[in-house]
Amino acid sequence: MARVGVFVCFCGANIADFVDVPTVVEEAKKIREVKFAVDYKYMCSDPGQQMIRDAIVQYRLTSIVVAACSPRMHEKTFRKALSDAGMNPYLLEVANIREHSSWVHQKDKKAATEKAGDLVRMAVAKSIANEQLHEISVPVTKRALVIGGGIAGIQAALDIADARIPVTLVERSPSIGGRMAQLDETFPTLDCSQCILTPKMVDVASHPYIELIPYSEVIELNGYVGNYKARIRKKASYVNFKSCTGCGACWQKCPVKVPNEYNMGIDKRKAIYTPFPQAVPNKPVIDAEHCTMLLKGKCGICAKFCEKGAIDFKMVDEVIEREIGAVVVATGYDLWDATPYEEYGVGRYKDIINSLEFERMVSANGPTGGLPIRPSDGKVPKSVVFIKCVGSRDKAKGIEFCSKICCMYTAKHAILLHHKVHDSRAYIFYMDIRAAGKGYEEFVNRAQVETGAVYLRGRVSKIYQKGDKLMVRGEDGNLGQEVEVEADLVVLATAIVPYKENPALARLLGISYDKYGYLSEAHPKLRPVETAKAGIFLAGCTQAPKDIPETVAQASACAAKVCGLFAGDTMKKDPMVSTVNKEFCSGCQNCVTVCPYQAIVTEDIPLGHGAKETRTVAKINEGVCQGCGSCVAICRSMAINLAGFTDPQIINEIVAI
Amino acid sequence: MDYSKEIRDIAAKLFADGKIDVFVGYRMNGFDDNQVPVVITDPKEVSTLVFTEKSVFNLTNYLKTDHTRGKRVGLIVKGCDSRSLNLLLTESQVKRDRLYIIGIACEGVVDDKGVKMQNCTECIVPDAVVFDEMLGSPRGKKDYIVNADIRALAEKGLVERREYFEEIFENCIRCNACRHSCPLCYCAKCCIDQETASLYNGSNTASSAFHALMTWSLHLAGRCVDCRNCEKACPSHLPLHLLHKQNEKVIFENFQNHLAGVEEGERGAFYKYSLKDPDDFIM
Repeated sequence: MARVGVFVCFCGANIADFVDVPTVVEEAKKIREVKFAVDYKYMCSDPGQQMIRDAIVQYRLTSIVVAACSPRMHEKTFRKALSDAGMNPYLLEVANIREHSSWVHQKDKKAATEKAGDLVRMAVAKSIANEQLHEISVPVTKRALVIGGGIAGIQAALDIADARIPVTLVERSPSIGGRMAQLDETFPTLDCSQCILTPKMVDVASHPYIELIPYSEVIELNGYVGNYKARIRKKASYVNFKSCTGCGACWQKCPVKVPNEYNMGIDKRKAIYTPFPQAVPNKPVIDAEHCTMLLKGKCGICAKFCEKGAIDFKMVDEVIEREIGAVVVATGYDLWDATPYEEYGVGRYKDIINSLEFERMVSANGPTGGLPIRPSDGKVPKSVVFIKCVGSRDKAKGIEFCSKICCMYTAKHAILLHHKVHDSRAYIFYMDIRAAGKGYEEFVNRAQVETGAVYLRGRVSKIYQKGDKLMVRGEDGNLGQEVEVEADLVVLATAIVPYKENPALARLLGISYDKYGYLSEAHPKLRPVETAKAGIFLAGCTQAPKDIPETVAQASACAAKVCGLFAGDTMKKDPMVSTVNKEFCSGCQNCVTVCPYQAIVTEDIPLGHGAKETRTVAKINEGVCQGCGSCVAICRSMAINLAGFTDPQIINEIVAI
Repeated sequence: MDYSKEIRDIAAKLFADGKIDVFVGYRMNGFDDNQVPVVITDPKEVSTLVFTEKSVFNLTNYLKTDHTRGKRVGLIVKGCDSRSLNLLLTESQVKRDRLYIIGIACEGVVDDKGVKMQNCTECIVPDAVVFDEMLGSPRGKKDYIVNADIRALAEKGLVERREYFEEIFENCIRCNACRHSCPLCYCAKCCIDQETASLYNGSNTASSAFHALMTWSLHLAGRCVDCRNCEKACPSHLPLHLLHKQNEKVIFENFQNHLAGVEEGERGAFYKYSLKDPDDFIM
């Protein structure tokens, strides 16, 4: 005979204001199997938990129902209370009378109370059929895969590797460094980006626990948390990195010129190239799309000049496999294409550039030697208009979200412009100045006061050419009148958008992404670095727009999560997984197609006792199974059962109302 | 439509070449002009095989029996039968390389009174869609139409419709002939026979029959090929096709014109996922 204890929580006023809690307790007491029912102001508090622990012993309870908030919130808390009292934690049922009753029925206390009573009756009925379950142990492969070698990936890799956990860092371009390697100085302290980043890049290359695989991409990920298997395609570099010394003779002699991605296409690179002088690894690769030798079979000058004979035109892509336990995704961002802003003349006027192009110009290692110039005539601009929120916060033409970093880097650009061209003036059109961050507001003030940057609150409506100048017409909201600024150069703070292949990558990894292509975290507040798929974590702008300090913090958080995951030789996992009754399974494999986690495989079992003939049945990999129950619903033979949600439990619940 | 001679020749050759162990076909029942399915293992019995418009049964049902399990089978399929065969292949119940399939470009079959079957008058796929050899000249696919029975059903309100089915299903004697005659009911142990399934109760009550038949129809929703083996087998002459045709209509309209078993390798409507699946009902 089941002996159920019911514990109803007031949740302060959250539940008690709209549900008559004592009535719910009285209703619970009417159920035959309920031997004890009580209410308390905060059941999750220590005295509340103590009530549960005491009652378990005193009333010899066989299952527990807590009527309180969502199980997502405190199921773990109460399970632990059961464990502490020597009871199997899975004999707990939570009746959610807060989100499911008090919060949604605030206008009708009577009905809310009745519903709470029903929810409690259902939970009691279900708990009677609850079985003792035990956590599953899954072995762990202690190696992490970091996808993306920008500052996020670098930081995550270094932090994980410093904990003596091997890391495989996969970077799609020939060098790590990412967007940060393109920056000149960084807000709010104006320290040189290269000076703080390149030592970290070198650390990655020399770290005994980091395996750096540049110029490659992840093409497949199978398995489950702790036991993933990744397939990585190493793109053919046509340069044997082992014999290459990085002398540079090859790219100096290469006759093919291609727009230089690192410098945002402002200057040219060669078809064999290292992206920038501080690249790690500092070895050139051949760009197969432009190399004459690879395209037409003629040239081969680089091979002629390579003293080490490191050039190999016959090299092909190579696929390698790594067994890993966790993944950190740090694919970073791209810039939004501002072409829809036709009224600005984007694409028509040469002297309209985006912020990253400006950043390259003012960089010490940039294509113009650190001096901003006008692309049209190469002159140094004296009057520069910066326009913020180009694409950001613009539902009509661009994207709804705020790109977050533009306010700060535009202030930085104003300062850098002043440093490089002393007699220049910056005009900044803005909607709001968002400078929340340590030292950020002071930094914007510095831009305004020290450099005399003119901040104009308003949108730009039109840009047109007048002579060799660009006329920027906009509104000064503070004066409430139209203004027109004569500009030598216009810099657009275009929105930042996630790496364009994020959706494809997300599908490959089996994680979700939002409508913009940003990868989704498991919980916006409480699980900001985890994804919904166990063992896959997010760092940096792949999840949302972020500045460098935030990115680094998130990367380190990922590392902490990975280290936590790898703390033991095995991992504990909830036992709410499916099992197949092989006797009933007819082998139709419909469950295999509906499983969103690829947790179901097939196995051959003897047709009968001792028979030679076999038949195929489904088999669940309990390490991968997330307990969603899709297979249970789809199985016509009712051969699949989900522990914790068995048919008797569910039928009991239905019968109870 | 009489392919008796062709089929005898093919079956005899298959046995002679050692390509099959058994042949599943039709023979005369021995007392009137109707036919029964027959599983032949002895090549000498090939001469009893017939195929005419009286060959009504869906023979793929016999692929789930011990007569054919693990053996190399010769088989006759009409359009509808071939659709259920397609599903059996997709659902891993039979292996294609163990089958020799004689497909029929079917002109429709008749019931024991000689009247053309209703499902044949509204047949969408008369030609076999999976076969090794085809008899007859293909007639091509027809458009899907909602028949008068289902249109009449749609005019009834939900409560009225429920009462209607409850009344009809009162005549069910829970003999499970419908299940045994259905080629797609191949489960090792049917859910309605399982102990945990207290809703069906195993007993012969109106409510248990109602639940059992509703569950059965949902398990066949998006899979039923309208061969009407179940209706032919039902001793209480229940209009079981109403359940299946109603489901077929709803699924056709909501799952991108899905018709069970027409495409090779395609699963039932509920067992596949497509980004195009309608989701406008999600709040």
